[in-house]
Amino acid sequence: MRYLVRRIVLFILALWAISILIFASLRILPGDIATVMAGINSSPEQVAGLRLRLGLNRPLPAQYGSWLKDLVHGDFGFSMLTGRSISEQVAARASVTFPLVGLGIVLALVIGLTMGCLAVMARSTRLRSFCHMLALVAGSIPVLWGGLLLILLFSRGTGLIQIFPSQGFPDTGWRRPAEALQTMALPAATLGLVVGASITRYTRSALNDIAGSGWIDMARSCGMTRNQALMRVGLRLTLPQLVSVVGLTFAEMITGAMVVENLFALPGLGSGLITDIGNRDLIAVQSELFMLAAFFLVIGLIVDLLHRLLDPRLKESTVTGRGRS
Amino acid sequence: MWSTVEGRFALSILLVWVFMAVLSLVWTPQPLWATDGQQVWQKPSHNHWLGTDGTGADVFSWLMAGSATNLLICLLTVACAAALGILLIAATVSRSALVANTSIVLVDALISIPTVLIALILAVPLGASVVVIVLACGLGYGLNLARVARPQALLAARSDYVIAAQVSGASAGRILVSHILPNIMPVVAVQLSLSAGSSVLAESGLTYLGVGVSSGVPSWGHSLATSVKLINVYPLTALWPGLLVTLVVLSLNLFGDSIGDAIDPQSNSALREAA
Repeated sequence: MRYLVRRIVLFILALWAISILIFASLRILPGDIATVMAGINSSPEQVAGLRLRLGLNRPLPAQYGSWLKDLVHGDFGFSMLTGRSISEQVAARASVTFPLVGLGIVLALVIGLTMGCLAVMARSTRLRSFCHMLALVAGSIPVLWGGLLLILLFSRGTGLIQIFPSQGFPDTGWRRPAEALQTMALPAATLGLVVGASITRYTRSALNDIAGSGWIDMARSCGMTRNQALMRVGLRLTLPQLVSVVGLTFAEMITGAMVVENLFALPGLGSGLITDIGNRDLIAVQSELFMLAAFFLVIGLIVDLLHRLLDPRLKESTVTGRGRS
Repeated sequence: MWSTVEGRFALSILLVWVFMAVLSLVWTPQPLWATDGQQVWQKPSHNHWLGTDGTGADVFSWLMAGSATNLLICLLTVACAAALGILLIAATVSRSALVANTSIVLVDALISIPTVLIALILAVPLGASVVVIVLACGLGYGLNLARVARPQALLAARSDYVIAAQVSGASAGRILVSHILPNIMPVVAVQLSLSAGSSVLAESGLTYLGVGVSSGVPSWGHSLATSVKLINVYPLTALWPGLLVTLVVLSLNLFGDSIGDAIDPQSNSALREAA
């Protein structure tokens, strides 16, 4: 309970600190934000008009205050370029990114858990070390390059086996699920393979640690074979650890997702954010960065609480494990 | 470490890397900026060992010069991560419960922010530069280090010899340096060499996204990113930088594993027998 309260207070503080960091980094820009947004060929009047419209002539604390107030009310402002509301724009992009990341993580879990278990449980030593080496090599491949290799192998038009499209997302969106899914295939596979490799390594080392423990000896002395004991007892014991790892992998996956979206020209959150930064649509950038950061803080919070829920041993101890004094 | 195949492989690749990086400061097979408009997308030849890219620049020379940039990023990132991580661990084992608990929960809360987001935030005012990569990765990996080494650090902090040292009046700094750090050294060494590998991967990703190394500075990410556009026509040019990054990251990861085995008494049988 004490951990829960402390964790939530820290969550809110972290959210607040991030908002200050984002706000400050956009305001210490060389030149001011209106000049940058108006572009090189703008007259001083245009810049002044823009500054007035965005409220940039007010003192910084007042600007920050009104931004924070809008955020709390769920108002993220409007994009200068498209004129659409930012929450609408983000929702449209999320409909590409979330399925991509979701598919990627499912694929990664299937690959990672299977390979990780194989690397510990397979009877032949050769298969075990093969799984381990494969995971090590696959985990060292840059996402960009992995995507390129998949394009060279499977893309329609130029690949060796031409089955999947390699560029773009259909304008019809998810109304035609088959087409949309096809465009997701290669990007999701790229993410799944790279992330699956790191999940394999974590699963392997967690299971290996458990395999030498007293729990497994106990289960075996009750008549289970080594693999039965690992499957029924070992996996359950490693579960809290694996949940944490998957949560962290999820956060790291966003880098991969951004690269993949750019490479495969998918109009998702990552490529959208990069475009907005390129276009100097800084009001949109400010809100989008905050939304992404908030999203990951929430994921981190959920993972932490889930970890403690799954591992009853942590419930009694305080944070430092020094006991209640 | 030299005794296993993996260790030998990793060490040789890393030595070649350092050698190439140092050599590139004084000599490259072709001058970096000697671009020849007549000789774009050449196949590997006697003059251009790995061919030329879209501007007619020599691919091998650029990769060689890139190895210096990547080595610099790697070392700086690891230094930042080590400094931050050890500072946070020092706070974790601090005798003040407030400091300890705050540092723990702070790490838990901030660790979920992806490094790429920090890089994007920093890149808005700073522009694309090496500094962005080093700061963003250093922060992210430092938090990771603090989290991974936490159990060992807490275990050491509660051990009998630390209590004995406290009773005999040793200062907190002395206890940290001479009792706690040696205990967490295996974990720290492994984690730092994994971070070194991640920083090479992060460089290629961030540079491709336009927030990493600024254009015109040679780096592996830069070589990879510039060859992406014509991947379908000239796949070979994109092959080399990717292969190079994969090899180096693999070696850094293997290096980490072998370091762990070499200095961790629980997995090194020679050390265990000596103890």
